[in-house]
Amino acid sequence: MKAAENQKITKRSLCSVSVAAGKVAAITLIANGLLVGAAVAAPPVIELEIRDHLFYPAEFTVPADTKIKLLIHNMDPTPEEFESYELNREKVIPGNRRAVIFIGPLKPGTYPFFGEFYPKTAQGKILVQ
Amino acid sequence: MRHQISIISALLAGFLLSTVTAADGIVIDKVYHPYVQATEQELEFRAVIQDSQKYFPDDNQLYRFAYGRSLNDRWFAEIYLTGDRNENVGFDLRAVELEMKWQLTEQGEYWADWGMLFEVSKTIDENIYEVAGGVIVEKELGNWSHTANFIVEQEWGTDIIDEIESALNVQSRYRYNTFFEPGIEFFKGQDTFAIGPVIMGDLRWGMRQKLHWETGAIFALDEKSPDLTLKVLFEYEF
Repeated sequence: MKAAENQKITKRSLCSVSVAAGKVAAITLIANGLLVGAAVAAPPVIELEIRDHLFYPAEFTVPADTKIKLLIHNMDPTPEEFESYELNREKVIPGNRRAVIFIGPLKPGTYPFFGEFYPKTAQGKILVQ
Repeated sequence: MRHQISIISALLAGFLLSTVTAADGIVIDKVYHPYVQATEQELEFRAVIQDSQKYFPDDNQLYRFAYGRSLNDRWFAEIYLTGDRNENVGFDLRAVELEMKWQLTEQGEYWADWGMLFEVSKTIDENIYEVAGGVIVEKELGNWSHTANFIVEQEWGTDIIDEIESALNVQSRYRYNTFFEPGIEFFKGQDTFAIGPVIMGDLRWGMRQKLHWETGAIFALDEKSPDLTLKVLFEYEF
């Protein structure tokens, strides 16, 4: 009798542990999915510099349908804002700092960008092929 | 991966909808985006005018005046003065509110962009306090941007019955051009279940001078909700 009860308790305990583990696994899956999602493979990195209110390079090519990580170093002492309506990106980069901007996956085409603080000089475009 | 995202989205949507209950007064408000710009400051004006809601006076109006600034590239703080009026009572300043927005993820890094919102407020003439916290999520799909805010709020004080409320605000907007973006907004909260069209855009001039505007007409989806709510927002960013 006791063995049967113990077995029941053990089964119930295992069941609770299993449910609890299932919940933890589900929460972990959701958390991983929410935070990691499609970013499984590290995206290609392209480095840009802002110097004397100009982007270097001002024009570059990236593959279509690929997420890209832009690493932008602002070498000027003043802040600049990387902006592109076409890319749906806007990011202030303080002077002598760097910033990361993720773009894409993009369809083939030309995507202009500019520096909002110095829009007459700080201009560029990304060619997606 | 698509299957996994669909399951996660469905779970999240189910969780949000199942836990939504309510929020006192005017629920229809701004839909927050999860982004913070370093060194940004803004002056903000918001107005919400609602009509024909059971147990509420007509022409119920809520106004917010705010100053905000980013503390760094992740946190944005804003202080509000809130006032209201209706067909029976003239304009009166009602509350002071402090709000903090926290950008959790870099835009475009993950399948969606995430942020959090925290608010604390105190009414000026009454002993009513509110503290609120919420999640902001935004997903870009082509030229469409879909945003959801899920806010939970606790009210307490000697002039109010203590209660916990929640609200879900959702916006889908089409990025047509920088001057004009049409969209649709949905609100679910206490005595409010409403949907309606919105339009918004940006006007720029000079170095880092931007006026962001939004307006919309939100219509009731049930008998408890106000028949019509008009909303207007102006943000001068500098």
